[in-house]
Amino acid sequence: MFPAHVRDLIRSHTPFAVPEKIRIHTDTTQFMDIKAGDCIAVEGRLFYVKGEEFEGRFGLDGEPKFWVKRVIDLHDGTSKILKLAFFESFFMHLGEERIRCFRSPHKESRILERTAGDTRFMQGHTLYDDAGNPVRVIERIAAKTFYDLIHSLEMDHETYYYEVFPGIFSNLMKAFYAIKDLHQMGEIHGDIRNDHLLIEHDGGRYRWIDFDYTYEWPGQPYGVDLFGLGNILLFAAGKGFHTLHDLKSSRSAFHSVLSDLREEDFSLFFPNRLMNLKKIFPYVRETLNKVLMHFAAGAEVFYESAHEFIEDLEIAFRSFLWEVPYGS
Amino acid sequence: MGHRILVGIDCSANAQRAVDYVGAMLRPHDDAAITLFHVLVGPQPDIYPDAAQREQELDKRHRRAHRQLEAMAARLAEIGVPPDRIALKIQVCDPGENVSSALLDEQRRGGYHTVVVGRRGMSKREEFLFGSVSSKIIREARECTVWVVQ
Repeated sequence: MFPAHVRDLIRSHTPFAVPEKIRIHTDTTQFMDIKAGDCIAVEGRLFYVKGEEFEGRFGLDGEPKFWVKRVIDLHDGTSKILKLAFFESFFMHLGEERIRCFRSPHKESRILERTAGDTRFMQGHTLYDDAGNPVRVIERIAAKTFYDLIHSLEMDHETYYYEVFPGIFSNLMKAFYAIKDLHQMGEIHGDIRNDHLLIEHDGGRYRWIDFDYTYEWPGQPYGVDLFGLGNILLFAAGKGFHTLHDLKSSRSAFHSVLSDLREEDFSLFFPNRLMNLKKIFPYVRETLNKVLMHFAAGAEVFYESAHEFIEDLEIAFRSFLWEVPYGS
Repeated sequence: MGHRILVGIDCSANAQRAVDYVGAMLRPHDDAAITLFHVLVGPQPDIYPDAAQREQELDKRHRRAHRQLEAMAARLAEIGVPPDRIALKIQVCDPGENVSSALLDEQRRGGYHTVVVGRRGMSKREEFLFGSVSSKIIREARECTVWVVQ
């Protein structure tokens, strides 16, 4: 590829000034060296690097993710994300539990391939650089996170529960079905969080992103995903999380129920997070609360698959469809 | 045909307790044949993408499992079970497959009369995330006796 041609492409497809010296990377192994203004060439495709993505957990900008580049596809000028191969292993905290987690580009590539065309998941494909590294080319989604959606709602819980939650619940069911389908393929998402579920600005579709976490254990492979699904359901049903600290605060309206709260009403993984929403919001349907209680410290039986979780949740969901007032 | 016992072994203290219990219970029974069975979880290609590295890791795990089985067999012999009544077996289970299914498949294949596992003493959180092998065996075992050793 001639530099003059690359300059023309940058000029015609980006609003950025063409750098004096253009660096074109065909090997992405040293991804830290790939800077804004550089280009990445893989399998005949050329991408202009705008910068890095940031950790961005729960509305806060965190550390730059040097292996995730924001790029412009110089073929058509569209914005994309390139995820470069980065292998790491670390301990992840699930509340008070700590488990070893591995980042696997190959897993994400495979899931992208297996969910191609299924818009419940982020879309993309994998190209290979000259060193054989998988480079995932991800379509950018104009969206907000589920976390941001819930936090942007300014209303009391009861209004939210009757007027907004049924619509959210319906979308969440579709998103939960997507995870069930993923599990049926023998895959796990690996990092189900409120900010890994995006809601498209245009059309409001719910879409899962980021599938590169994996784990190694001999037992139940879906436990981590179920943990994530339970958290999202609690977050949605409660319009945020309700901790013991919040309930005790001077501004809390729930002082009268404090003496009625037991250890078993709280989350198995986050002992300060109330799971038994019915104790503070008595209008929450029993069928929904029962599902939440499978994630509580007092639970005797846990879900082992998304299928079981959804089966129970469907009962609660149907009661919303029928509009049974305070239905069970 | 004598009584065939399948003992699930992993690298934990509860497996040792299960072996001790089996030894103490079956030592006087001449017709009991004991198979110590280790279900080995193969290294995942997602974590070990390089085939040679995966092979090396599998070999390492295989040797570790074998050492563990030999130590357990020696323990049984020490308790007084004749070595000719002890068999050792390792099975590699694919990632995604679980240990309890592998144990129960082996039970059916081998026509074992009794399956023995140790109870791990997991916390509830661990049970949520990883599942309990002994609970699954109790729930899903058919046409055999299950001993869960605490």
